[in-house]
Amino acid sequence: MSTHVDTFSYDDAIVRKFLWATFIWGLVGFLVGLWIALELANPAFNLGLEWLSFGRLRPLHTNAVIFAFAGNAIFTGAYYSTQRLLKTRMFSDGLSNFHFWGWQAIIVAAALTLPLGFTQAKEYAELEWPIDLAIAVVWVAFAINFFGTLARRRERHIYVAIWFYIASIITVAILHIFNNLSVPAGPLKSYSLYAGVQDAFMQWWYGHNAVAFFLTTPFLGLMYYFMPKAADRPVFSYKLSILHFWTIVFLYIWAGPHHLHYTALPDWASTLGMLFSVMLWMPSWGGMINGLLTLRGAWNKVAEEPVLKFFVVAVTAYGMSTFEGPMLSVKSVNSLAHYTDWIIAHVHTGALGWNGLLTFGMIYWLAPRLFQAPLHSKKLAEVHFWVATFGILLYVAAIYSAGITQGLMWRAFDETGRLAYPDFVETVTQLLPMYWVRVAGGTMYIIGMLIFGYNIWMTWRARPATYDVPVISAPPLAKAYVDPHPAPAGAGLWARFASAAWHRRWERLPLTFTVMVVLAVVVASLAEIIPTFLIKSNVPTIASVKPYTPLELAGRDLYIKEGCFNCHSQMVRPLRHETERWGEYSKPGEFVYDHPFLWGSRRIGPDLARIGGKYPDLWHVRHFEEPKAVVANSIMPTYAHLHRRALDFEGIQARVDAMAMLGVPYGDAVRQAPAMAREQAAAIAANIESQGGPAGLGDKEVVALIAYLQRLGKDIKAAPAVAAGGGQ
Amino acid sequence: MKLVDVMSGAGLSTYAIVALLLFVLAFLAIVVRTFAPGAAARHQADARLPFSDDEPGPATRARE
Repeated sequence: MSTHVDTFSYDDAIVRKFLWATFIWGLVGFLVGLWIALELANPAFNLGLEWLSFGRLRPLHTNAVIFAFAGNAIFTGAYYSTQRLLKTRMFSDGLSNFHFWGWQAIIVAAALTLPLGFTQAKEYAELEWPIDLAIAVVWVAFAINFFGTLARRRERHIYVAIWFYIASIITVAILHIFNNLSVPAGPLKSYSLYAGVQDAFMQWWYGHNAVAFFLTTPFLGLMYYFMPKAADRPVFSYKLSILHFWTIVFLYIWAGPHHLHYTALPDWASTLGMLFSVMLWMPSWGGMINGLLTLRGAWNKVAEEPVLKFFVVAVTAYGMSTFEGPMLSVKSVNSLAHYTDWIIAHVHTGALGWNGLLTFGMIYWLAPRLFQAPLHSKKLAEVHFWVATFGILLYVAAIYSAGITQGLMWRAFDETGRLAYPDFVETVTQLLPMYWVRVAGGTMYIIGMLIFGYNIWMTWRARPATYDVPVISAPPLAKAYVDPHPAPAGAGLWARFASAAWHRRWERLPLTFTVMVVLAVVVASLAEIIPTFLIKSNVPTIASVKPYTPLELAGRDLYIKEGCFNCHSQMVRPLRHETERWGEYSKPGEFVYDHPFLWGSRRIGPDLARIGGKYPDLWHVRHFEEPKAVVANSIMPTYAHLHRRALDFEGIQARVDAMAMLGVPYGDAVRQAPAMAREQAAAIAANIESQGGPAGLGDKEVVALIAYLQRLGKDIKAAPAVAAGGGQ
Repeated sequence: MKLVDVMSGAGLSTYAIVALLLFVLAFLAIVVRTFAPGAAARHQADARLPFSDDEPGPATRARE
């Protein structure tokens, strides 16, 4: 037997870098969140600046919190725990640093481009194509570094936390690549490869699984490593953790369509999404129980240790949000909650409670070890815990109330059978007191974050002049595994199946495990994607639905640039109160030229699917200039800059050409888009003037946006629908 | 003939059921193996892996 022993040290410098990035970007993401909460409570906080408007900043908030704060937190914990669990230094310090600086550069690029209106209009995938390419490169570098480390490991068994990291790395790569496939129409402009129903399907396959494989599985990996370490006892049940992992991998990927209940998505897909979502409740609670029971016999420590307090509430928040998720996926519940603040409350229970508190607990545990100095103040950590916890409670209580209030108001009928609140803005102003409570809750959470930053900063200041670097000794893995408890000679199939030998041999090949995870994810995805894309009866076409004119396309791009889809949906559900309020319900065939789809996920403003022709052009001009001038209690920001800014007519050609490449039948517009756009713009400008509006708008951006809005919902009224390839 | 026409007429629904059954079987195999008699000792040892770097060993210290 070989007695050779390797000596090595862990790279903690990279962990310290990611730790600081977690704090800095977390603070930025939370402050942007607070600002947009203020904008909803009082639109004066938009300050009349286009790049500060809610539509532009909301994606910055979500991206900063998910990919900058949570992302850097994942890397902090993963780089620390992976090296120790595999008993090896990371594969390449160069790749570790490339990953760190590349990820930070991507975040800076997002912080610059999103407020300027460069967006793909897909939730949590807003970043434009050059940044998407950079994300793919940096992610691949991370994957090479991670799998290289796995290949060089000195520990035979791959601990369950690492399984969760593997699943996250692989699945995020698949999701990112396939949801972001697009045709560029300029340096920072692209159109999704998919249209309408199919784009919606891909987006929520991505969107739901971004929550699953970016905000859930990697954090579960962190929980399975850091919670036992902080409690100083192994996880309650390792068996349960194995089942937790495989059930999550098998089930999560199917659940995305529950984001599209009662939309134009085929009913079978949304039912499938609901069933798998309900099944997800079981493994999620198995994981929560496993986490909490890890503290069995150590609950006295929870009273003394703020780290454990953070972990307990984080895991409880995981349990609450993973109970609520399946509940919200039930169609009848979803019909009330969808498009309301209920969903916002749900995601904040997860983000602030599960991701936020787990991150804080992990960093409080890591800081003394990484900075080799005692935590500056345990008392301040306690204060942070209580301020953050009460902040979360205040936030979610207010926003749950807001969501349920608005959902009930939308569907309320009076005794005469008419809508009880026909004026949409009534259902918004009712929420404003709750929006102020949200501001208070968010402020508390940020105060906690500042206390946290001070505490970690002071701990860092007490660091030694030079960090001690322990030298670790461990034997390399033997090529052949010798089972300490082999199945007896002549044992049957069952004994061999139950023995560790074959499994340990598989574990020697991390690629085998990775391939199994990929299979689970890809097969489940294809089972939903193939029918949606390739079976015609799922998206019946409507003969009267035509492509947008070049000017309408330019207006649609302005709608995307301003982030209008963050507040307005374009999807009338087949529910009585919806058709009473908005008109004919939306059909799949209406969206076949919509690259990307713009159905939205929240109605802070009214649905716009049937807005075309509802108001004269002049109404829109006045509305964009000063929304309160035409809707007294509106909380929409002003878009007066659209009246001043010249429309780039020549730039429309490249956009039409890109859409034509995607198969949109543009005909003559492929050669003469600017001329066609000018002609339509002049007609709209003349119309506005004839209605008593200002002159000279014919070359301004506002006419393009008006052209687009006036087109919405008109095509299906143009002629009787003709279904090709299947009925409705 | 387009791919859409081929796929629409291919009668693929059976394959979805086959895939689902394979998934269920794979999952059941994982469950059976995880709870197999004799696995407990192995799982207990695996659960202690996060503590392996805390246990006394031949580690020495050096300066960075």
